[in-house]
This record gives sequence, structure tokens and C-alpha cells, in this order.
Amino acid sequence: MVFLHSCGQDNHIRTYQLAKTKALGSAPRVEAPDNKSTGFIWEKPESWIPSSGSSMRLASFDVPYSDGIGDLSVIQLGGTGGGFEANVNRWRRQLNLEPQSLSEIEKEMIENKGGLGLYNVIEIINEELGSAFLCAILPAGNQTLFVKLSANPKGVREIETDFISFCSSLIISI
Amino acid sequence: MRIKDIINFLKQPKIFVFAMIWMMMLVVLGTLAQKDMGLYAAQNRYFSAWITWFWFVPMPGGRLTLIIIFINLSFFFFKKSIWKIKKLGIVILHLGGILLLVGGGLTAMFSSEGNMVIEEGAKSNHVEDYHYMELALINTSAVDFDEFTVFDQPLLIRNQILTHENLNFEIEILNYLENCEPTKRTSPPVIQYKGMLKNFMLKELKPEKEDNWNRPGIIYKISNSGTSADGMYGIFLGQPVSQTVSIKEKDFTIILRRKRTYLPFSIELLDFKKILHPGTEIPKSYSSDIILIENGVARKILIQMNEPLRHKGYTFFQSSFIEGPDSETSVFAVVKNYGRLFPYISSIIMCVGLLFHLSQKLPDLFRKSREKIAA
Repeated sequence: MVFLHSCGQDNHIRTYQLAKTKALGSAPRVEAPDNKSTGFIWEKPESWIPSSGSSMRLASFDVPYSDGIGDLSVIQLGGTGGGFEANVNRWRRQLNLEPQSLSEIEKEMIENKGGLGLYNVIEIINEELGSAFLCAILPAGNQTLFVKLSANPKGVREIETDFISFCSSLIISI
Repeated sequence: MRIKDIINFLKQPKIFVFAMIWMMMLVVLGTLAQKDMGLYAAQNRYFSAWITWFWFVPMPGGRLTLIIIFINLSFFFFKKSIWKIKKLGIVILHLGGILLLVGGGLTAMFSSEGNMVIEEGAKSNHVEDYHYMELALINTSAVDFDEFTVFDQPLLIRNQILTHENLNFEIEILNYLENCEPTKRTSPPVIQYKGMLKNFMLKELKPEKEDNWNRPGIIYKISNSGTSADGMYGIFLGQPVSQTVSIKEKDFTIILRRKRTYLPFSIELLDFKKILHPGTEIPKSYSSDIILIENGVARKILIQMNEPLRHKGYTFFQSSFIEGPDSETSVFAVVKNYGRLFPYISSIIMCVGLLFHLSQKLPDLFRKSREKIAA
């Protein structure tokens, strides 16, 4: 019985098939402990590590994905912060892409609803450069929040669900 | 040496006495050692080991000692003098002892234990081992299912090459770290790493006293894929973002996780309840309302402290819980023990043996007592 139990290496390799589950690799969500001083509250995945950003930023995170780490920034500007067209084209220029008209930009924007109300998300990818941004523009009263994730195209696609959950969780701290 | 001599040697009661004394010493040493080295390490060193080293001196470990006791008790039946009606109680008693050891052997070799963690409203159909890890390579290319190729911990050793017909590449384990910490790189690495290792490194830590506090990690190399996925990668237990690689139109996710055993049924947690002692934060009792789902048939069951669920050889004990902001998570200790019934059966047999022996000896004892009084 002892020998039957111990012999053979093949019994240390197992193969099986399972129906797909959405939960594969998903991370638990936690509320950032020090985010109340920013005037906003949010929930982020546990894997996002707060990082030091510029003084312009309300918050910065290192966002790991399978090929590296993305950089996520949250910036707050008064009013509309320059509007969709100016901001999206600024981001496009950062990725060496040609500017677009407002109607073209609006076609690529995806509307979501979160704690701050309706907001828009846009994906800007330069495959040749291997760089991509995932950006959200969230009106918050008389201000606008800009959430930008910078990673490679694969990273942006991997993080997209968590990014939208993060943006949707943003609410004003009372 | 003749067979008869061997039998005569092996059936000596002296062996049983010395082995029992040594076993008692192991129990004391193991109990004292577990304070410093942790329960799991102490179990492995003193009780599950064939040989226990005391500095440079090899001594029989708990497993070998119990086998010696088993052999000695078994050879007891070769004694001609015991096959008498007068000795029947002793024979039954020995039989009970042997059965107890057989049960212990089955438990040691084939049983498994782990835990099942379920959040309220969620479902689970697998148990995660407390101690053993596995490296799961999941082919996620198919639309409706994932194909898992899983390598168990005994294969996760330095220089081991992992191959399988399901994989169109090889994995070489460059290093297995029993306990590690991912730390962010402050300068670019000398080696061209891939994946998480480009920005993080796995810093080896001293193993913790309690085995399940460790966070194991692996540095591995993918080769022979014929693609740019070839290279050196790293992975650790609980890595928040899994490593994915695309090799010849197949997408793989690579995860280091606690060894999973899938069950032929699933459990859904409806509600977890915790009752506190009045005026304190000390829990008085925990219970979980669950639904056991098997072959499409659902059955509502309550699992609470001291009232485990027993199903298909598995026993689910209410072990712990995790309090979340919105919902609670129940933790069940799950045990599959093939030798579970042996202690009960052997205890009954030993009791019967002792009673039988006592009933035979009582008339003699009474007679001697009467003679003593009369004298």
C-alpha cells in the first residue's frame, strides 16, 4: 500500500476542464484608507498600490497587470477642465496620434454611471508605440475629475473592468 | 536465521514496550517543539517522519515507530499459547489495537484536509489545501471552458522541467521560495525578465513558524515555445494579477495557488450568523445556512459549531469567518478521512476484549478474595 501510494510522478500532474468563471484572477476590493482628505471616497482593488505622483494629482496608483505596472492618476480641475475635445486631443498628442474632432471623439466614448453620476470613458491606443491610455472624465459638481491609466495596450484591456469599477465607486466625501 | 527465529524476535513484548516508551517520548518532544517550530513543522519532524534526526543521530520517527508496533502486534498472533478460549479477550484486544493502527495508517497516507471559503451569496465546489501548493496552467483559449494542467508541489523544485502534452512549451523551475515578499525594483534588472519580474523582485524571507503564514514564490523559465513568450518569469501565492502568456494562438494563465480538490457537489452560502456573548465581542457560536447542490438537486442545511456536515466522505466543520463591509464570509474546515470510523470500531472491539477478559478473570478474583478472607 505504501509503495502504491508513493510511486510514479504522473500522479503529481492533473488535467481537467472547467466551465469559464469570471472570477479568475480577480482581486478583492478595498477602500483606500487615506482618501478622505482628497474630498472624494473610492474603492480600489487591493492590488493597486498608492504611489507618489505630482502635486497636481489627487491620487496616484501603481496598477499591476500581467506584463508590468500601469500608472493611474486622478486629477481635479475646476469647471469642465477645458472640455472633452481639448483633453482627449492632449492625450492623443501624448501618444503621437492625430487630433480628432468632437464628433469623432464622442463616437469612441462609452458612457457609464457611477457615484458621481454619468461619466465618459475613452480608450486611446497607439499599437505601434505599444502605449495606451484609458481615461475617464467625471463631472463632480462645479469641478471635473480626470482619471487616466497609462499602460501598454494589453494592460489597458486587462485593467479596464477594475478601472470602470474604480471610477464608478468615486463619491464626494461629506 | 530461520523464519521461526525471526517470528520469535518480532513477537517479543519487549519491542512493544520500548516502542511505546519511545512513542511517548516523541509525543512529549513534539509537543514541546511545536511551541518554537510551529505545529505543522513539529508534526512533520516528529510524527509523520520515518526517521527523526537528533543532531547527527538518526532515531525512528513516529511513522516508523507505529509500524514497528503494528508488526509486533501482528506477530503476537503467531504465539500458539494465545489460541485458547481463556485468552480470547487478549486476542480481541490486540485485534482492536491493530485496527486502530490500520486506521491511523489510512489517515496518514490518504486523508486530506483544507478549507472552503465562501462569501454570502456565493458558491464553491473546491477545497484548498492548508499546506500544499500547485502551479496551474490554464488554457483559456476555448470559448466556454478552461483547460487546466496542474503540477503539484512535489514537482515544484529547483531545476525541475515541467512538460505535458497539453502545453506547447516547457517550464523550468529555477527557484522555489518557501516564503517571499514581492518588492518593487528601484533600478532596472540586469537580466531581461518578463511579466511581473520586470518591475518587482521576489525577496526570499525566512519561513514563518506556522506554515500557512508563508507566501511561496517561484522563479521559472518558459522555453521551447518558439515565440517571444520565452523568458524568465516570477509568480507568488496570492499574486493579484495573474501571469498571462500567448503561445501559438493559445492563451495561458499561470497561477501559483493552494492545491485544490474539486468536489462532486457544490455549496452555496445563504447566510452566516454569529452570536456574541452578551456585552462582549467574544463569539458564542457561529452557524452557516447553506445549500448543498448535487446533480441539480438543492438541499438546505445548517452547519454550526459541533454539528458538521458529512457528505460523500467529506466533513465540513464551521471553522472561522471573515467580516466584510457588505457581507460576511464563512470558512469551513474540510476533512476527508478514510480512517474516520476506525477509532470508533477499534475502541468498541478493545472494550469488548477487555470486558471478555475481565469476565473470565472475575470468578478467579472473587475466589481468591474469598480464600483470603477465610484464611
